[in-house]
Amino acid sequence: MKTIQTIAIIGASGNMGAAISKSLAKGNYRLLLCANDLNKVQAVADEIIKTNPAASAEAVDCSVDASWEADIIISAVPYAAEKEVAEKIREVANQKIVISIANPLNETYDGLVIAPDTSAAEELQKLLPNAKVIKAFNTTFAADFATPVIDGKQAGAFIAGNDPEALETVSELVSTAGFNPIVAGKLAVSGTLERMQLLLIQLNMKYDYNWLAGWKILHQ
Amino acid sequence: MDRLLSLATMYELFFQKFNEKVPLTPEEQEQIKAYLTPKKLRKRQYLLQEGDICKSIAFVEKGALRAYTVDENMNEHVIQFAIEGWTISDLFSYLTAEPATYNIDALEDAELVLITRSAHEEFLKNLPKYETYIRLLITGAYIALQRRLTSNLSLLAEERYTSFTETYPDIAQRVPQHMIASYMGLTPETLSRVRKKMADRR
Repeated sequence: MKTIQTIAIIGASGNMGAAISKSLAKGNYRLLLCANDLNKVQAVADEIIKTNPAASAEAVDCSVDASWEADIIISAVPYAAEKEVAEKIREVANQKIVISIANPLNETYDGLVIAPDTSAAEELQKLLPNAKVIKAFNTTFAADFATPVIDGKQAGAFIAGNDPEALETVSELVSTAGFNPIVAGKLAVSGTLERMQLLLIQLNMKYDYNWLAGWKILHQ
Repeated sequence: MDRLLSLATMYELFFQKFNEKVPLTPEEQEQIKAYLTPKKLRKRQYLLQEGDICKSIAFVEKGALRAYTVDENMNEHVIQFAIEGWTISDLFSYLTAEPATYNIDALEDAELVLITRSAHEEFLKNLPKYETYIRLLITGAYIALQRRLTSNLSLLAEERYTSFTETYPDIAQRVPQHMIASYMGLTPETLSRVRKKMADRR
């Protein structure tokens, strides 16, 4: 039997954080949901348990405690808030998988606020030098988690990182969430993945996909 | 405040014990720290479940854990206890990457320092003092195992219990009696009779 893994989701009351939490509750995981507003995150935990009484989801008011308990940490806060989170959890995230989902978008969603030669994931890795930062869940919209199969086709979800074992663990998470995991490469590929999502967001606004859209690689 | 305090002492006992075996320089300590995983476990939660691969050795900073097997009649057999300053793992699985035969769970809320297999390999490559540390650790585990085997095979129930409480007075205080019975290969009823007999004599 696989040992139950504990996942801390920081920013679990946000759109993406709540969507990820709900979809991972389907797997054999113990979820610790944190956010600044404990009531909001408690509501997410309650909803998870109501839909799936066998799930294990708990609201925790402190990201440090949750990350200390966790085997895997998901930073589901906006890019602008990531530095503050990283500084708080740095000690307790040592050697742990930290998933970066952020896209460093500007306020008008038509560009990135980050230099072209880096990415949100690589910046997070610099802030957490002893953690295993993995880019994942950044190329999927929040609505995709409820509907990972769009128009009859399963959306792909890209993963990037430097630690092979961590990539494997995160691939399992992505599969649990219902997406087809695609390991794109080392963490340095994150810049491409973040820019791909910028494109998808722009296309969504232009063609009105109603935030239900995703990537799929066609191949033989 | 409390939290900051416990963050600062996250690795304190680990390095204290390490230094008792092999003295480290502050630089070496930092070098080791970078590869350690701090982990909290709540009472009754698993660190390892049978059949999974044991990915780390756990050093106990705080709390109590046990390793046990479950037989086909669903009876639990306690293999080892671990409290502050001790390490616990399924060494067989850790060293061979074969599926674990032990379950390890927390008897009390616990704070652990994990040495993962990748950290272990990194240390073995780059830190000769770690090799000494781990040799002493495994030697100690072997001696404990041999003692336990001899005690279970050749001592009477009362002698076993006396030897256990003398060798591990702290554990005897903290752990439920039925688990101690299981550890000694006795039924809880037998242990309770033994204890009564000993008390009556006093």
